[in-house]
Amino acid sequence: MEIQIPRNALALLMIAQAMVVLPHSQQLSPWIMAVCVVCGIWRWMVFQGRWDYPRRWLKAMLVLGSVAAVALSGSSAFSLETATSLLILAFALKLVEMKGRRDAYLVMYLGYFIIATEFLFSQSISMAAYELVAAVVVTASMVGMNQMHARVRPMGSFKLASALILQALPLMLVLFLFFPRIAPLWSIPLPGGAKTGISDRVTPGDIAKLSQSQEIAFRVEFESQIPAPSQLYWRGLVYSNFENGSWTQASPPPGQRQSILRTSSQISWGTRVPEFLPELENARTEATVSGGVKPLAYEILLQPTQSSWLFGLQVPTITESVEAGSQSNNIGLTRDFRLMSREPVSALMRYKVHSYSELVPDRELPDWIRTRETRLPLEDNPRTVQFAQGLFAESNSVEDFARRIMLQIGTGAYRYTLAPPGLPRSNSIDAFWFETQAGFCSHYAGAFVYMMRAAGIPARMVGGYQGGDLNPVGQFLVVRQMDAHAWTEVWIKGRGWVRYDPTNAVAPERIERGLDAALSSEDLGMFSVLTNARLSNFAGMADLIYMFDSVGHRWNLWVVGYDPNVQAAYLKKILGNVTPGKIAIVLLIGVALSMALVVIALFWRRRKVRLHPVLRIFLKFSKGVERFGFVRQSNESPAQFVARIDARRSSLIEQLDQLLYNSRNVSSTQLALLRKRLRRLQVSVALGLTKDIETAG
Amino acid sequence: MSTQFPGGFVQKRFGGWLERRIPPSSQITLSQDSIFIFPTSQGIAFGALIVLLILGAINYQSSLIYGVAFLLGSLFLVTILHTFRNLSGVQIEFIGSPGGFVGEDIEFEIRVSRSTGVGREGISVAWPDTIKQWVDIQEKEACTIKLFVKADQRGWFNPGRMLIETYYPLGLLRAWTWVDLTAVALIYPRPIYGESPLESTTQKDNGALVDPLGSDDFRDVREYQAGDPVKHIIWKSYARTGKPVIKQYGSFLDPRFILDWSAVPGLTEERLSRLTGLALDAARSQRDYGLEIPGTQLSPACGANHLQTVLKALALYGLLEVPAAGTEN
Repeated sequence: MEIQIPRNALALLMIAQAMVVLPHSQQLSPWIMAVCVVCGIWRWMVFQGRWDYPRRWLKAMLVLGSVAAVALSGSSAFSLETATSLLILAFALKLVEMKGRRDAYLVMYLGYFIIATEFLFSQSISMAAYELVAAVVVTASMVGMNQMHARVRPMGSFKLASALILQALPLMLVLFLFFPRIAPLWSIPLPGGAKTGISDRVTPGDIAKLSQSQEIAFRVEFESQIPAPSQLYWRGLVYSNFENGSWTQASPPPGQRQSILRTSSQISWGTRVPEFLPELENARTEATVSGGVKPLAYEILLQPTQSSWLFGLQVPTITESVEAGSQSNNIGLTRDFRLMSREPVSALMRYKVHSYSELVPDRELPDWIRTRETRLPLEDNPRTVQFAQGLFAESNSVEDFARRIMLQIGTGAYRYTLAPPGLPRSNSIDAFWFETQAGFCSHYAGAFVYMMRAAGIPARMVGGYQGGDLNPVGQFLVVRQMDAHAWTEVWIKGRGWVRYDPTNAVAPERIERGLDAALSSEDLGMFSVLTNARLSNFAGMADLIYMFDSVGHRWNLWVVGYDPNVQAAYLKKILGNVTPGKIAIVLLIGVALSMALVVIALFWRRRKVRLHPVLRIFLKFSKGVERFGFVRQSNESPAQFVARIDARRSSLIEQLDQLLYNSRNVSSTQLALLRKRLRRLQVSVALGLTKDIETAG
Repeated sequence: MSTQFPGGFVQKRFGGWLERRIPPSSQITLSQDSIFIFPTSQGIAFGALIVLLILGAINYQSSLIYGVAFLLGSLFLVTILHTFRNLSGVQIEFIGSPGGFVGEDIEFEIRVSRSTGVGREGISVAWPDTIKQWVDIQEKEACTIKLFVKADQRGWFNPGRMLIETYYPLGLLRAWTWVDLTAVALIYPRPIYGESPLESTTQKDNGALVDPLGSDDFRDVREYQAGDPVKHIIWKSYARTGKPVIKQYGSFLDPRFILDWSAVPGLTEERLSRLTGLALDAARSQRDYGLEIPGTQLSPACGANHLQTVLKALALYGLLEVPAAGTEN
């Protein structure tokens, strides 16, 4: 049936187009947006009857041109961005040329599909709410397609679509919870996008830039007490190489990362005890014994970083838990005691960590690591080397040496600032240590490691996040990009790798109370308004932000993070032993119940008839006097009944007749008067003041 | 049987089954016994879309894409109820038909109503060969529609089972039913008009005077009276006698003008058609006419009712007098 598209549906479809394409503007090239706008305008002109549909040759040219443009501008042929671009172009072009019912449905289905693809790029609760509204508008245009004979009323279609979606929600929830989730069927390109967070190359100053970002890096739920902020060092990266003023990861070397990770013993996947950390076995057994030292247990919800490193407190291990399930096999512990994911984190990632703080990392240091962690470039920063060697000669131990460097930082003219002066590529540490003397955490950490290595002591720089903001509403910890931090680890015989944070010497407030406490008002000025609102003690605003963040966290935890493992754990909790039969029964019951709700909403008719207000008052009265022997006869009007009870009440009788039969609108004062008069009559009936008349009548 | 399913064993079986399931009646209230529901091609495509989304959700391990797929799936299920509800409780009633001639589009008046409560819209009502009429009883509780069906045979005409369907609200599903409203119309033979056939059967002088002042036929002579038309004066007589005499005219109609079976040529149907044409001509010229066909004799008369009687006799020649339930012809 080739029926023309009703104007109502077309108008809604055009609104829907704008709504579903808009969020994609963040990922797509501007020219695609331009094509969408042009197509929208064209369709509007066709709708108004001013322009004609595009001719066939023009359509062919538009399609070929778009595909060619996507092919030329896209970075890789089969990336998600390319696919989305093509999808949106197809949607826009189809909108212009659509004529019949079938075309319109194709455009609407594309609309639903584009809504779904947006969730590959953003999974926030606000985006979900927005896309829900967009889905209502697409549905409304579908409703409009089938209301062809009604008057044009987009609002009516929209209302009905809202009702439909609303009625679909309970069922959707049932399916969402119980529909079996399975592992991916084949491998697919994941959304690329810019890497966020800490990078694997640190040039002093990089972290300072990160620190201006309010963006959330990850959220942490602790199973027990949250440790003090000064203990929250979230390790993510270890920088062992120093070259041309930058610190980089030592191994695996860039370019060969994946192959080396998989083949070498430098990373231990899954929950098994790594050969470089044999003490873990004992620690785990001990933890199960009552009274034994329990590891610090927490769950991290990491926002996508497009990188593969994960964050955890020293010494992080992956646990064997129901919920971790297959996920745990995709996480490994590296040789330098960091967590790593097999694939870059492109979507919200959830993992559980047990941290054993009492374990000694690298009690014995293999020679190859010692070589790696003491290596320095030749002929770089001679002044610093000289200074360090002099200072080490005066010290009686490694600890004493470290203390002396810290003291030097604390007592010298060193400043902690977000906007340090630039440094040269060579002799950069000399320039910082002796001249500018102003820097951010990575400046101090870098200088510290450099001096340690100058004295022949194994040391390395560690990057990650420090501290975190406790959300009092949700009782979870929020770690933001502004908490990014760099510190150091020094290998000391018998103690393994020991953490030293030189920033502690220059700005102890940074470690105790967070970045904002350590910064000057000038530096704070670099933050956005929102950041400052959160940081300030302006209670209302901060509470509001905490609440929103708490909601966002729950959303991540229960909706975005509801993956096959979480589902398995949840089903086990409510069903016990999970069998396909049980799931089928639960699904059936759930579907039946939610459909029953809709049936009730659709078919239930309120049978109650609204009575005339005067009659309602009167019926109440007649019921009230029934037990005193006055029963209204079926042929008696209200006025006649009152007259029978007490004929002297002429004004009441008159009013009853008048209100019931002669007036269109009854005012509330009239009703009040009637109510009062009837109540008075009822009282006199109760007192027997009318009895004689009744018997006489 | 009355259902208009052309040929085929399956169709006949379906027709018979339908006959038992939704028995013919002039007024039918649709309920779950009589409503069928099935996805449209758009609905099947919608299902494919959901499958595609679930595949995407599995591969990208995205809860929210699962969410979209489940929302659309639930929407589909909810829509089943809405589509069904749109037909359920709707009352279809055959009001009447003025009838007509073979070959004409016959008007049937159908009333569609609903119980109080929620309105219905986007319901189409049609016989298989007619143009669909869309019914909207959103605010009103009832409406009357007119459907036109082409009649191809004289006699009592039942257009058969009527298709009532709806795609509301999303077009993903089609709910429909076939009802037999026992709608009948009387179909008269297709008229054939002869070349002034009336002339051959009239006998001028024996008719009754219809209009004394008519001007068709000469009637009498009489003396001139003031006011008489001058051109009626017989001047020859005036010249002779000196007294003006005028001719009097009047209109006559043949009392024995009979539409006679044996007077028209052709086979049965052609004769009936010719007689119908004659009857209509006669009625148009407002003269009395009778009918004589085998089995029926009507004495001459005129007027709408008489025409009706004559035409009905012609329509039902050789057929049943009353529409038998469930029969078409």
